[in-house]
Amino acid sequence: MSKILGNPRSLAILIICVAVLAVSILGGALGNTLGFGFFASSLPAIQLPAEKVTDGFNTPIGKWDLMNTMVTTWLAMLVLIVISLVIRKNLKDVPSRLQALFELIIEFFLALCEQIAGKEKARRFFPLVFTIFIFIVAANWMGILPGFGTVGRIAGPEEIAHHHDAHDYHDPALMQTTLESKESKAKSHASGETHGDDHDSHLGAVKLHVFRDYKSVPLATLSPGSLEEELTFSQYGENHGNVGEGKRAGHLVPFLRSANTDLNMSLAIALIAMVMVHFWGFSILGFFGHAGKFISFKSGPIGFFVGILELISELGRVISFTFRLFGNIFAGEVLLMAMAFLLPLIGIIPFLGLELFVGLIQAFVFAMLTLVFASMASISHDDGDHH
Amino acid sequence: MGDLGINLPGLITQIISFVILFVILSKVLYKPLVAMLDQRAEKITAGLEAAEKAKEEAAKSEEAIQEQLQEARSEGQKLVAQARETADRFREEEMAKVREDLDAERSRAESNIQRERDAAIEELRKEFASLAITAAEKVVKTSLDEEGHRTLIEGVLNEEGSRNN
Repeated sequence: MSKILGNPRSLAILIICVAVLAVSILGGALGNTLGFGFFASSLPAIQLPAEKVTDGFNTPIGKWDLMNTMVTTWLAMLVLIVISLVIRKNLKDVPSRLQALFELIIEFFLALCEQIAGKEKARRFFPLVFTIFIFIVAANWMGILPGFGTVGRIAGPEEIAHHHDAHDYHDPALMQTTLESKESKAKSHASGETHGDDHDSHLGAVKLHVFRDYKSVPLATLSPGSLEEELTFSQYGENHGNVGEGKRAGHLVPFLRSANTDLNMSLAIALIAMVMVHFWGFSILGFFGHAGKFISFKSGPIGFFVGILELISELGRVISFTFRLFGNIFAGEVLLMAMAFLLPLIGIIPFLGLELFVGLIQAFVFAMLTLVFASMASISHDDGDHH
Repeated sequence: MGDLGINLPGLITQIISFVILFVILSKVLYKPLVAMLDQRAEKITAGLEAAEKAKEEAAKSEEAIQEQLQEARSEGQKLVAQARETADRFREEEMAKVREDLDAERSRAESNIQRERDAAIEELRKEFASLAITAAEKVVKTSLDEEGHRTLIEGVLNEEGSRNN
C-alpha cells in the first residue's frame, strides 16, 4: 500500500480511479436520488418482444413488420458473408491471418464432430453445427457493441398504448393539433374524453420518458446525461401531452437489438436444428428405423409409452434450446442496461467481458447440443440402448 | 405467444435468414476451406512420408558410407602393416648383409693384421737375433765362446717369444 502511495504515477492513477468511481456513483441513478445524477441515462422500457423499427406490410399469416432484431440478424449475416468472401478470395495454402483464424475454429469443430459423431457423419453434421455456432457468436457479440439498444426512434404514447392493447387511445399531444382542425373537433374530443377515463390502471402506470426533440433528426439516444424526467401515462394525460418546450414523451425504440433477445430468432435456430436432426435420423436409419424410436409396438405398451415420452422430450428440446439462448442473452442485455443506469461510465466494463464470455458459451452450447442430438438421432435405438 | 414476441411472420423471416446464411456459408466458406484443409493434410502426410523415406535412405547411405570407410580404413591399416613388414624385412636383410660384409671385412682385416703382425714379429725376431748377434759379437769381441752365447741368447729369445705369444 505504501509502495502505491509512494509512487507518484500509481498515486495519480489511484486518484483518477477513485474520482471516476465517485463521479459514476454520484452521477448515476444512486446520485440521482440525492439530486445529482448528471450522468444518468433513463432505464429503457424493457420488453420481451422485439421492437418495431418501421411498419411493414400485411401477409396472409399476419402483419410483417421490420423488427430491430431482424436488422441485427441481417447485419450479423452480412458480416459473416463478407468475411467468408474475403477468405474465399484470398484462399491460399499458406494462410493469411484471417484465414488461419477461421481454419483454427473450423478445424476445432471438425475434430469435435469427428470425436462425437464419428468420421463419416462428421462431415454431414459439420456445416449446420458450425453455422449455428458462428452465427450465434456473431449476433451475440454484435449485440454488446455501443449503439445497440441505446440509439433509436421515439415511440409516442399512442404507439405504446396500442402495444398495450389499448386500441382506442389517442395521444393528447396529437389531439391538441387535431383540435385546431375544425371538422374533427367534437368527434375526437369525445373519443379522447371517453377513453381517457377508460384505459385501465395498467396502462396509466406505464412510465414515459421525456426526450429532447430534435425535429429534423428522428433519433433519440440513451446516453449518459439523457435522464430528464419520467412521467406516467395518467400524468401525461393530465398534462394534455405537454411535457415542455422542445421535448417529447415516449419510449426509445432502438434500431438495433441483439438478435437472440428475440424469441423468433432462437426459436428459428432451434426449429432448424431439430428438423435437421430428425432429417438426419431418417436419412441415416431409414424411415422406420428412426420413426420406430417414437412409435413402437414391438416391446408392448411400455415400449409404446416410452416412445411417446421420447416424442415429448423432442418437443422439450426445442423449447429448452429456444429459452436457454434467449434467456441468457436477454438477461445479459438487461444487466448491461441496469449497470449503465446504476453506474454510468464504468459500471458495464466488467459485464462487457462477462457478456463476451456468455455469448461465446451459449453459441458453443447450442452447437454442441445440436451435434449431440444429431449423433444420438443417427444411432439406432436397438443398438444404443441394450449395450 | 404474442406477449413473448413470437409471431409467425417474424419466425419465418428468421428461419429464411438463417437458411440463407447456412447455404451461403456452406458454399463460400466451408466447402473450399475444408477441401483445402483436407488437401493440406494430404500434402503434409505425403511430405512427412517423403521425409521419413528420405531419412531412412539417408540412414542407409550413411551406414554404407560408414561401412566403406571402415573397409578403407582396415585396408589402409593392412597396407601399412604390409609396408611396415616389407620394410622390416628389407632392413633386416640389409642389416644382415651389412653385418656379413662387415664381418668379412673385419675377419679379412684381422687376418691381415695377424699376418702383418706375424711378419712383423718374424722380422723383429730376425732383426733382434741379428741385433743380438751383433751385440753378442760386440760382447764376444771381448771374450766368451760362441756356443755358450748362442744357447744363452736362444734361451732368452724363446722365453721372450713364449711370453709374447
